[in-house]
Amino acid sequence: MTTVENEKPRYKYIGSDRKRVEDPRLLVGRGGYIADLKFPGLLHAAILRSPVPHATIRSIDATEALKLPGVVAVVTGEDCKAHMNPCMNFGPSSIPQFPLAVDKVRYVGEAVAAVIAESRYIAEDAVELLEVEFEDLPAVTNPVAAMEPGAALLHDGHGSNIGYERTFEFGDVAGAISGADLVVEDTLHWGRSAGMPMETSGAVARPGLNGVLEIYCNSLNFSYFSFLIAGALKLPSNRLTMNPVPAGGSFGSKFTAHKVPTLAGFLALRTGRPVSYVEDRLDHLMNSDHHASDRYYDAKMGFTSEGIITGLDVDVVDDYGAYMQFGVGTHGNAFSQIVGPYGFRNVKYHLRAVLTNKCQQGAYRGFGSEVHNWVLERLIDKAAVELGLKPEEIRRRNFITNDQFPYKIPGGNVYDSGNYPAVLDKALGMIDLEHWRSEQKRLREEEGRYIGIGLATTQERSVFSATEFWALNDNPDFPLTSSPESATVTIDPAGQFQLLLHCQSMWGNSPETVGTTVLAEEFGIEPETVNVRYADTARALPGTGPGGSRYTVMLAGAVRGASRKLQRKLIDIAAHSLEVAAEDLELVDARVQVKGAPEKSLSLPELASTAYFFALNMPPGMESGLEESYTYDHPYTTLPSADRSDLGVFYPIMGHACHIAVMEVDPDTGTTKFLDYVAVHDAGTMVNPKSLGGHVTGGAAQGLGSTLYEELAYDDEGQFKSSTFMDYLVPTANEVPPFRIGHVETPSPFTEYGIKGGGEGGRMVTPSVVSAAIDDALREYGMRVRELPVKPATIVATVQAAIAESSK
Amino acid sequence: MKPPKFMYCDPDTVEDAIALKSRYGHDSLVLAGGQSLMPMLNMRLANPDVLIDINGISDLKRITRTGEVLEIGAGVRQSELETDAAVADAVPLLGKVVPYIGHIENRHRGTVGGSLAHADAAAELPCAAITLDATVVVQGPSGRREIAARDFFEGFMTNACAPDELVVAVRFPVASAASGSAFVEVARREGDFALAAAAAVAEVGTDGRFTALSIGVAGIAATPVRATVVEEALVGQAATAENIAAAAKRIADRVTAGDDLHATGTYRKHLAATVVKRAVVAAVADAQNRSNGS
Amino acid sequence: MTTTENSPEARYAGDTRTVTLRVNGQEVTREVPTRTTLADFLRDDLDLVSVHLGCEHGVCGCCTVLLDGGSVRSCLMLAVQAQGHEIETVESLSADQNNLHPIQEAFAEEQGLQCGFCTPAMVLRTKEILADGQERTDDEVRHEISGILCRCTGYQNIINAVQNAGRKLRCGGAGGCGSAHDEAKGA
Repeated sequence: MTTVENEKPRYKYIGSDRKRVEDPRLLVGRGGYIADLKFPGLLHAAILRSPVPHATIRSIDATEALKLPGVVAVVTGEDCKAHMNPCMNFGPSSIPQFPLAVDKVRYVGEAVAAVIAESRYIAEDAVELLEVEFEDLPAVTNPVAAMEPGAALLHDGHGSNIGYERTFEFGDVAGAISGADLVVEDTLHWGRSAGMPMETSGAVARPGLNGVLEIYCNSLNFSYFSFLIAGALKLPSNRLTMNPVPAGGSFGSKFTAHKVPTLAGFLALRTGRPVSYVEDRLDHLMNSDHHASDRYYDAKMGFTSEGIITGLDVDVVDDYGAYMQFGVGTHGNAFSQIVGPYGFRNVKYHLRAVLTNKCQQGAYRGFGSEVHNWVLERLIDKAAVELGLKPEEIRRRNFITNDQFPYKIPGGNVYDSGNYPAVLDKALGMIDLEHWRSEQKRLREEEGRYIGIGLATTQERSVFSATEFWALNDNPDFPLTSSPESATVTIDPAGQFQLLLHCQSMWGNSPETVGTTVLAEEFGIEPETVNVRYADTARALPGTGPGGSRYTVMLAGAVRGASRKLQRKLIDIAAHSLEVAAEDLELVDARVQVKGAPEKSLSLPELASTAYFFALNMPPGMESGLEESYTYDHPYTTLPSADRSDLGVFYPIMGHACHIAVMEVDPDTGTTKFLDYVAVHDAGTMVNPKSLGGHVTGGAAQGLGSTLYEELAYDDEGQFKSSTFMDYLVPTANEVPPFRIGHVETPSPFTEYGIKGGGEGGRMVTPSVVSAAIDDALREYGMRVRELPVKPATIVATVQAAIAESSK
Repeated sequence: MKPPKFMYCDPDTVEDAIALKSRYGHDSLVLAGGQSLMPMLNMRLANPDVLIDINGISDLKRITRTGEVLEIGAGVRQSELETDAAVADAVPLLGKVVPYIGHIENRHRGTVGGSLAHADAAAELPCAAITLDATVVVQGPSGRREIAARDFFEGFMTNACAPDELVVAVRFPVASAASGSAFVEVARREGDFALAAAAAVAEVGTDGRFTALSIGVAGIAATPVRATVVEEALVGQAATAENIAAAAKRIADRVTAGDDLHATGTYRKHLAATVVKRAVVAAVADAQNRSNGS
Repeated sequence: MTTTENSPEARYAGDTRTVTLRVNGQEVTREVPTRTTLADFLRDDLDLVSVHLGCEHGVCGCCTVLLDGGSVRSCLMLAVQAQGHEIETVESLSADQNNLHPIQEAFAEEQGLQCGFCTPAMVLRTKEILADGQERTDDEVRHEISGILCRCTGYQNIINAVQNAGRKLRCGGAGGCGSAHDEAKGA
């Protein structure tokens, strides 16, 4: 093994496998999830979901529903039209969306009406009594057909079903392709899946004091966007308070999820009563805030005869769905690592995001970058076979080298640091590929078994900057550049710590473990002793929330910033009390002591007592109390150029990973089995290796789901085929292999402690490596994974077709 | 996702349950283990006026062996079949089939009678019942009658019970000591309904030829089907892998299931032949093991 | 059948029933609508919100409870069906986060959870799995927990937690057998 040991300062808490501070309450079943909240007089909402993909709503008759005892109100799109503004929207303003369909429905499952009743049981009884008259419109389900003249329009006001179209070219792609020794081309389809947390989205809203509407919800980023929800609800922003509620998983699905809190808020305003709307699983499958990427690619890549990539030409049609509230940010993510870990300079990317009668797209672990990773790796694998190069060799030849960092890629983003050969070598060191390659041959010859080896090296960008929300547009409405995170650290009069986080960030990641680990590192206290709370939006300092693998980096920056302010104050108080110069003091193990004379010291409780109760012992003019806040802004971002020939630096904290899978494929059943799997990630300095490993494993399991099992399918008529968990196949423990995890640490030069984000990486690699392993296992049959999820039927059909062909 | 209102009836006796069925007929549904009906109620795909919960009827929970017949009460939980020594001894195939039914959390509640009555063509127990030539015992106002398993599954999710009849038991012939059995299933995920599954019971003579063979296949048609064409092709023939593979291909003609989200009809034809072949091969191996072991 | 008082309408009248059952060792009696699921009854009537609703159609397993010691989906039972039975939720192990049961402690040590939503179900299933006191392979554990979906962990740390808990329980408590296991594992 040739892992490069990186020089780094030694930390006492950061980097060790400590238990998570979040876990004790979760283990006794007191996670405090949205459905656990109970308020006096709480009403419950259920929605009527559209059974048709595209139709005008002629009428909604609620007479019978309203007669049912226990029913309080029925609210429809007409009420939204009359009393609301459209929901928050990062896409074209000509594509408005309301939490209940206004005038027409645009996909199966879209919310048509909400019933508010004394219990969810009664609300569902009443939903069955609603009578809706739909006038069907032609369903638009194929994104290519949707672009044809004469296709039915989803949004008359937009005038076209093309939500976004643009070609970006960096370098000379035509030259790179025409001058290449080898050009590989492929047509690929990445199918729709979604984060699909075990807990759905939910919100409880209630009218509070002073005309303030209080919304409790498990969305993640509302300290960033609550003013937009207030705008939709026609409330002054200071009359809406959003309260953080921990989430039972998100993986993107609750990232800026606003439909549920907006609807709950609207229902509370309409009834003047507290209302709970928690999606049931059918709601979530059909009508969540967003499904994930669904893209069709025509892609080609040029190579020299030595396997050096000359250029990439991508034409992507995005089957976007019925609305575009998240714009084309999922493609911005692709641009953040458009060349992967490879050094080629010529890229062309033609993007058409097309409106269809399906649920809209948004975030899912990787946010669209994982799709681009898959396309890159698919093409490289194809070239490797044609050039007779091993998969590790063709990648190694193309790696950006260690001396090139920070490295500006085509398109403008910067990779901060990296050591790609070290990651590859570590992975190769964890598995005996030569053994497996000879085993592959032996098993095929002696036992008629088919095993394959897949290898992929990919980027895992982290810490987005807000410029990515609009950088692909020429004239954005709101070209924001801030994506900060804040923390408030309080030492109470007894010397105990409180940490206040300024967003809802608990969804299964470890914000409290990260925050308290940093506090422990800075003050020498035990992490478990810190109490962590989350601010509501009436109190919250600037915060963006978790997403894009940013939170560990940003929170560490915020907590360290607040800690430094607090440390300065503690030292100043101690200097005054001990009558020594501040520069002669240091904070060690929860005491402020004289350098070289540690017996002369003051403990945190002693200093806290002074700060709260002994003003006359404080330095003259110093404020009483021990509380400091710090807002940490994005560590490195720049504006795009006016012509968008350079998109600026927007995702510079760049992790890297190498996965290797050995799989067995049964050509007669199309089923697959893992024989081994190693995953090595470099997420910079690790705060808690076991937690990071858990995220790699969880992400890889989700990547496996998107590759082999999970599918949010619509048929040609627009009917939704995946409306239950019997059809949407989340992998069980049986399907997920024991991933063996390795780590390499290449610190970021731009972040506190050198941390990089690592929350999404697993899912950003697995699809590539599993696709490659399946191809490799059945190479003699010409197997080539072109569409995800790859199903057993597809594998068997390929094998049978090849057998039929060869017997002709 | 909450169940609709219904009149909840929890009779203590089979007679009371049948009286309720007689009275309410198609307006009633019987709640056995609830692993299929409760999801349908929660999703409001079922909306009965009357729900007849038979879980309190202790008469339905017996497993008895009488001579060469093992009778399993309709109310016996599926998980009991996994651990019951009498079942393992009398009908070894059941112990191989049952672990494929959902997950243990389902089998702790799911019942033998419930699974048979539900008559899902992709389900495991109906497939085992036709393979083993089981007899379904149903009871109505005029008493009991016996229906051969192969006649019981009439069509897609429909069985031969009259609206006033209740499945009360299933009888399996005790397996011959010379027979071997096997079950092979392919599903998208373990625990899911079968894309195709095959159960086989085989006896092979000292000359290496099949003396008896029965094969049931799940997931390929509106009901579980016996692979009669395969059985007929193999009985009397040498129990070789080549013969089995060749004969198994004949099952493809019985596949009527078309394309759905999880599989295509073409795939199911190939898969059916594959699971039949593998089940028969494994049953032969099991028979040989059993005769070697005894 | 013919007399009014014996008719089904009379005998089974009413949308509610009184149920008596044991929950986490305590006998409870409540009046409950007959259509209320066991999951909702535990959550709403008994405030046992550790019973999580993930899908309400019997697939995800987040609502798993132990019924007379065996794991079941509480969304697929009616509360009235629990009459006379014994129910355990995760609170039966420990409801005190400062004093966890060895199984819960094992999950904390192995980070066998992230968001916590499937966790009570996984902990209860672990209790059931380990009731036989037998050692098992990781593959066996993998299969045995496969009826409960976890979207966060990719399962490996849960499997590690089950194995860790097994060691703890076989060695009689949270302290475990000390280094004996580690030596065995190393050997």
